[in-house]
Amino acid sequence: MAARVLAALLALALAVSTAPARASNDEGDALYALRQRLSDPNGVLQSWDPTLVNPCTWFHVTCDQASRVVRLDLGNSNVSGSIGPELGRLVNLRYLELYRNNLDGEIPKELGNLKNLISLDLYANKLTGGIPKSLSKLDSLRFMRLNNNKLTGSIPREFAKLSNLKVIDLSNNDLCGTIPVDGPFSTFPLRSFENNSRLNGPELQGLVPYDFGC
Amino acid sequence: MAINQSSFTPRVLADLSLLFCMLLAPVCLATPATTPAALLQVKSGLTDPGGVLSGWSLEADVCSWHGITCLPGEVGIVTGLNLSGYGLSGMIPPAISGLISIESIDLSSNSLTGPIPPELGVLENLRTLLLFSNSLTGTIPSELGLLKNLKVLRLGDNRLHGEIPPHLGNCSELETLGLAYCQLNGTIPAELGSLKQLQKLALDNNTLTGGIPEQLAGCVSLRFLSVADNMLQGNIPSFIGSFSDLQSLNLANNQFSGEIPAEIGSLSSLTYLNLLGSSLTGAIPAELNRLGQLQVLDLSMNNISGKVSISAAQLKNLKYLVLSGNLLDGAIPEDLCAGGSSSLLENLFLAGNNLEGGIEALLNCGALQSIDVSNNSFTGVIPPDIDRLPGLVNLALHNNSFTGALPRQIGNLSNLEILSLFHNGLTGGIPPEIGRLQKLKLLFLYENQMSGTIPDELTNCTSLEEVDFFGNHFHGPIPERIGNLRNLAVLQLRQNDLSGPIPVSLGECRSLQALALADNRLTGALPDTFGQLAELSVVTLYNNSLEGPLPESLFQLKNLTVINFSHNRFAGSLVPLLGSSSLAVLALTDNSFSGVIPAAVARSRNMVRLQLGGNRLTGVIPAELGNLTRLSMLDLSLNNLSGDIPAELSNCVELTHLKLDGNSLTGTVPAWLGSLRSLGELDLSWNALTGGIPPELGNCLGLLKLSLSDNHLNGSIPPEIGRLTSLNVLNLNKNSLTGAIPPALQQCDKLYELRLSENSLEGPIPPELGQLSELQVILDLSRNRLSGEIPASLGSLVKLERLNLSSNRLDGQIPSSLLQLTSLHRLNLSDNLLSGAVPAGLSSFPAASFVGNELCGAPLPPCGPRSPARRLSGTEVVVIVAGIALVSAVVCVALLYTMLRVWSNWRAVSVSNSDGEESAHGGHGGGGGKWGDGKYWKVGSAVSWSAEQRHSSGSETASVLHDKSTEAAGAGKS
Repeated sequence: MAARVLAALLALALAVSTAPARASNDEGDALYALRQRLSDPNGVLQSWDPTLVNPCTWFHVTCDQASRVVRLDLGNSNVSGSIGPELGRLVNLRYLELYRNNLDGEIPKELGNLKNLISLDLYANKLTGGIPKSLSKLDSLRFMRLNNNKLTGSIPREFAKLSNLKVIDLSNNDLCGTIPVDGPFSTFPLRSFENNSRLNGPELQGLVPYDFGC
Repeated sequence: MAINQSSFTPRVLADLSLLFCMLLAPVCLATPATTPAALLQVKSGLTDPGGVLSGWSLEADVCSWHGITCLPGEVGIVTGLNLSGYGLSGMIPPAISGLISIESIDLSSNSLTGPIPPELGVLENLRTLLLFSNSLTGTIPSELGLLKNLKVLRLGDNRLHGEIPPHLGNCSELETLGLAYCQLNGTIPAELGSLKQLQKLALDNNTLTGGIPEQLAGCVSLRFLSVADNMLQGNIPSFIGSFSDLQSLNLANNQFSGEIPAEIGSLSSLTYLNLLGSSLTGAIPAELNRLGQLQVLDLSMNNISGKVSISAAQLKNLKYLVLSGNLLDGAIPEDLCAGGSSSLLENLFLAGNNLEGGIEALLNCGALQSIDVSNNSFTGVIPPDIDRLPGLVNLALHNNSFTGALPRQIGNLSNLEILSLFHNGLTGGIPPEIGRLQKLKLLFLYENQMSGTIPDELTNCTSLEEVDFFGNHFHGPIPERIGNLRNLAVLQLRQNDLSGPIPVSLGECRSLQALALADNRLTGALPDTFGQLAELSVVTLYNNSLEGPLPESLFQLKNLTVINFSHNRFAGSLVPLLGSSSLAVLALTDNSFSGVIPAAVARSRNMVRLQLGGNRLTGVIPAELGNLTRLSMLDLSLNNLSGDIPAELSNCVELTHLKLDGNSLTGTVPAWLGSLRSLGELDLSWNALTGGIPPELGNCLGLLKLSLSDNHLNGSIPPEIGRLTSLNVLNLNKNSLTGAIPPALQQCDKLYELRLSENSLEGPIPPELGQLSELQVILDLSRNRLSGEIPASLGSLVKLERLNLSSNRLDGQIPSSLLQLTSLHRLNLSDNLLSGAVPAGLSSFPAASFVGNELCGAPLPPCGPRSPARRLSGTEVVVIVAGIALVSAVVCVALLYTMLRVWSNWRAVSVSNSDGEESAHGGHGGGGGKWGDGKYWKVGSAVSWSAEQRHSSGSETASVLHDKSTEAAGAGKS
């Protein structure tokens, strides 16, 4: 029995002594967490070696001069699985390109932490659930393409605050309610919202509740 | 019935065979009828390395033979054979069955092989049979079930397989049955339940399946029950609570499910209870607190939920409480220990639950030696009176949310060996009192918010083996006397604000294997004493301001496997780093190393990453690098290397990254690059390479980034490049490429960046480029000799953010399809032969986007009657028609808007959705008048643009591509 406790202690010592290597770079850890939740039949994530000091030499990952991850390009890569909350830790990310895959599950609300994000391309996947309100915190966002998924719920009103948003494409989902008209939404063409059978056209302030038909 | 019969048949057969053997036995033994003769037969079957049997000879009285016990007073009646632990090997001879008077056989702890002889079943006087800890094979003979007087049977720690024979249930006197550590399978036989005298049953470490049979309830004398480390399933039966004499119950590491039966609380004699490693659910039964004799309670690695409802105040004898790896929540109960000196609890393991609150309640457990509450959600401070636990040896609080400072009283825990506090929210400094911890071996403070300097007193903790302060805010110098830590194997100080030099004394840490000082503000040179760190394997100093040439003594470090000195100011030769031939990683990016790349680099044949970019290295790329056949990353970029790319590099077939850009390399782009099938990034830009682009590059099918820009390459772009269907970035800027842009490029449909500018490309822009629907960062075809019209298909590039077609010979009108480029924010069509009106939707781009053409209309001057004369009439018609259409549209829209308001009022009471969409269009049209007007372009913050420019890798300047947003911002100010 003493041996068992000793073994437990040894296991503890081992657990703590292996941890530093893993904890050494948060962006790499976040990406590696993504790798672990994805099924990757084409092996596009093969180069993602978590023991490297940073993920900047991983394929499909682009860093800036200060070795911060600014692009993630996994578009059209035949990956499946869900997008985890870990991606919210890539706070320097500017381009998140995960389009044309078989990603399912919900869009994690943690993506709202990506304050530097310019382009959020999740189109042509199998994403479900609502569009997180937290995405309205993406002050730098210019392009949001979530079209051709299975997203439900309404378009968060808070998106009207996204003053830099230039392109939004929410078409071919199962959204409901009405389309905001304020802020950048005053400029978006209706085809950005088409093929959402329960979406009721632009919101008319004071007349139609925004979640009308939801 | 049939099943019953079949299950009994083997038993009957076995009994018969036994009977047969017994009948034969006298015949078999007729010749060596005497006990000594039988013993000599046993001897002859054994190999006896220690010679313990050398005295076994007929010349001496058998009762005097080593290991033999005789019946007192009688002559020659052997009752005991004990040859335990003599290193005997060989098989147990069946002749052992000749010892008909024997009562005890102990052949344990030898190296015996072969099967257990079934003939043992005839030894009807046998009370003790100990064969454990040998290498016996085969199955357990069912004949052992004939031993009616057997009290102790221990066969464990052998290689026995097969099932436990049910016949053992016939050994009605059996008190101890030990079958642990074999390879037994099948179920626990229900027949064992007949063993009313059984006190000890050890079946652990087999591969038994099924449940615990209910018949086992018949073993009413059980004191010790262990079935740990099997594959048993089902619930833990509540009848276990009826074993009133049970002292030890070990069910660990099985697949039991369900709840812990409350009846276990009735086992008033229980001192050891281990249920770890199953799938038990439910709460900890409060009844367990009635186990007043319990010393060890281990319920870890299950799915037990609820509160820690254990009271060591009631479990007065509890020494070990192990509840790690469950789903427990809530706080540590206030009354866990009664306080004072009454608690005996020495080891408390609660790691990996969902526990919260503080740990103050533990301070009442005055006998604690080990605390592991890691991986929970504990909060609060580390209690300053932690020194109420003076016996503490191990304290693991990592992966929680503790805050506040490490109290100075920690220095009073003079027995402390492990202090693991990483990944919390601790602040403040390291108290100097830590220096009193003479036994401290492991100090992990990483990933906290601690600050201050590292106290010199830390160097008094001379037992320290592992120190990890990664990811805090420690500043000031590394203690000068760090060399006092003679036992230090790991020193991890990465990512702090440490400054000053690396202490000379560090060289005294002769046991150091891993040294990580990266991401600090260290200055000065590496001390010469570094060369004494003979055990050093991993050294990472990147991102500091270390400088100067490396001490030559470094060459003595033969065990180095990983060196990362990137981003410092080291200078001089690389040679001191090349003493080891075991290097897997040599990363020296962005320093000032000079001289040639020594061929000795290639001695480390297992090198995987060689990163020498951004130095001042000169000379040629040594051909010996071709010996590094496991090389994955070769980065020699941004040096002053000259000469050709050596053909020997073609042996580095595992290369994934080849970066030779920013040198003065000459010669051609080698065709053998096409054989590097793992290549993902190839950057040869900024060199003086000549010749053509080899079509073989089209074989590098995994290529993601291909940059050959800024060379003197000529010839045409080989259409084989179109085979690179994974390609994200293609940059051929600034060469002397001629010919047409191959339409095959359309197959590279993952391109997000395509740069072909500053070449001499001619012919039309292939309309096929419109297929590159993922083009995003830029399409740059500027400064070529491209002619013809801008293909309307480019309007399909809806993700494109920058388009530069300037300084070509493009003619015709700007296709209106470009209005579909909704993502475009920089456009440059200047200096071409374009004519006609700028499409209205593009008028928000600055004039500089269009100058140097024969264009008119906003942002350029309006299309007057004199300008583009030859097309005047056509344009006029268009303008008039458009004008009429516009006026009509405005009227219609106004009407629609009015109707819509009426309709909406109506819809508020009547739900409709089929025609809602259409009306919505109208509604949007009303508000959507802004579409295409100036307000659309108000987007974009100057800050983010300038940031992007800073990071843009291309050579094009901001003045070439005109940034709409900055224009807009300027206009806004004026």
